[in-house]
Amino acid sequence: MAVIEASELRRTYRTTTGTIRRRRVEVEAVRGISFEVAEGELFGLLGPNGAGKTTTIKMLITLLVPTSGSARVLGHDVVREAGEVRRRVGYVFGGERGVYERLSALDNLRYFAELYGVPGREQKTRIAELLDLVGLTGREKERVEGYSRGMRQRLHIARGLLHDPPVLFLDEPTIGLDPVGARELRAMIATLAESGKTILLTTHYMFEADSLCDRIAVIAKGKIVAEGTPQQLKGGVAEGWVVEIEVYGIEDVVLDRLRAVPGVRAVAVEERDQAQLVVVQTDSGQELTHALLSRMDGAAVGRVSSREPTLEDAYVALVGES
Amino acid sequence: MTHVRVFFIGGYIAYRALFNWMHPSYYIPTMLGAPLFQILFFAYIGRYTGLKDDAFFVVGNAVQLSAMAGVYGMAMTIGGERWTQTLSPLLATPANRLALFLGRSLPLIANGMVTSVFAFGVGWWLLDFELAAESIPPLAAIVLVSAVACTAFGLLVGAIGLRARDVFFLANLAVFSLLLMCGVNIPLDAFPGWMEAISRALPLTHGIEAAREVAAGAGFADVDHLFWTELGIGVFYGAFAYALFRFFEADGRKRATLETM
Repeated sequence: MAVIEASELRRTYRTTTGTIRRRRVEVEAVRGISFEVAEGELFGLLGPNGAGKTTTIKMLITLLVPTSGSARVLGHDVVREAGEVRRRVGYVFGGERGVYERLSALDNLRYFAELYGVPGREQKTRIAELLDLVGLTGREKERVEGYSRGMRQRLHIARGLLHDPPVLFLDEPTIGLDPVGARELRAMIATLAESGKTILLTTHYMFEADSLCDRIAVIAKGKIVAEGTPQQLKGGVAEGWVVEIEVYGIEDVVLDRLRAVPGVRAVAVEERDQAQLVVVQTDSGQELTHALLSRMDGAAVGRVSSREPTLEDAYVALVGES
Repeated sequence: MTHVRVFFIGGYIAYRALFNWMHPSYYIPTMLGAPLFQILFFAYIGRYTGLKDDAFFVVGNAVQLSAMAGVYGMAMTIGGERWTQTLSPLLATPANRLALFLGRSLPLIANGMVTSVFAFGVGWWLLDFELAAESIPPLAAIVLVSAVACTAFGLLVGAIGLRARDVFFLANLAVFSLLLMCGVNIPLDAFPGWMEAISRALPLTHGIEAAREVAAGAGFADVDHLFWTELGIGVFYGAFAYALFRFFEADGRKRATLETM
């Protein structure tokens, strides 16, 4: 049985632009996505900023009502049975905010333990276990305002686990962490998955999704563009070639000309200090370097190289094609 | 039992989490310093103009000051959560909303009482204000019910905070409206009819009227109708605020306004 079920989930935001002549604008953040997460599975929603990952999670944890479509968590509808869903899910999001700065970690956890209805006699043991799990034992009585970003993030995790939820939603939990902190957090997520929790993780780091997730859905511009195990996703673009061209200033019109070259799958630009790196993914067996360079009139070209595609390229290709 | 714990323990922890004035360096100037100067300011204006005696201003301002913590505090229960970005994790919990937000009012009511007692003390110590010992219990009851009513009024401001990006300007508006219209420093009969009608629908008005009569020697039985009216107004605002809160929470989930800064 699927623990999380999303069916044709759609969310539109209404906003206004302009100061004097105000104009209403509709933004489609999530455009009819469907997926299922099985019990004990660690499912990754992978996508760039603004792809709709957080909006999807917010609908699943009942903070947002879908514009259309439906979603169920452990069989409970996220709109009609919001209270039932809230009792059964934990929610962790990335970033420094979202905790009470003037309180200690201990009081932050005590407060949310009350809100999640953890019985008083169980709170002390539960909080001590969680502080130990996230490595905050010994620092729990300090005010959170003095915590590092990593410590705050670990406190977020502890808070999300207070009521021992069977389902966890982790929204970019490693964002902004230093490499060591991010690695520790990933290890913690892996431990939680091993303990049998069903986890939905959003991230825009391909390697993170690859190392942690049983299955991944790549989301871009509000739509799922690929779904499968990390191996299946890699397989989809394993055959092919990548040409990297260093340029010093490039216009969109030139990029469009590159995209039009037969055999080109995707074109992306990475900023590199003074220069840009144009990454062109091509079909396998095609030598397109000369064809590409001939369409770059007017651009100052530097180093040109070609290589086999990586997992990162797979992700860029999927997102770029959407 | 869970709701009771959320109400009492949750309310206490939230109070510590959200309010600057917990620290003496904030509490003393905010909750005691400002009230001291407010009472002296209006009492000396009264003396200068010769319109009313000190007791009129001491009682009016001492009762009104109990509203300050209630209105600002309850406005902050939502505005502060929005600012610290804790509103999402809070609303993602299954906690009973009535216990969650009403529990936050208890420390604020106690706070209002402390400020009020201090203000009466200032009046007795620095101004020409006397209070008979037998008047203290009914006066305390009246101040308590006024603080409850003002906190309920503050909850209304807080509920609007679920929709409005910034409720602090609204809290300022509410506090100064109460200061102007509830007979704190200006007798109600000095207002035009429409203003007096509004005054009668606001918290504080009946509390202050009752407090003045008790301070002048009346017994509780003489002012019990004012006491119950004040309480009724508080209950009305509290119920209205809660209904509005639930509406804005549900609507915020539809309109995605719960996290706008």
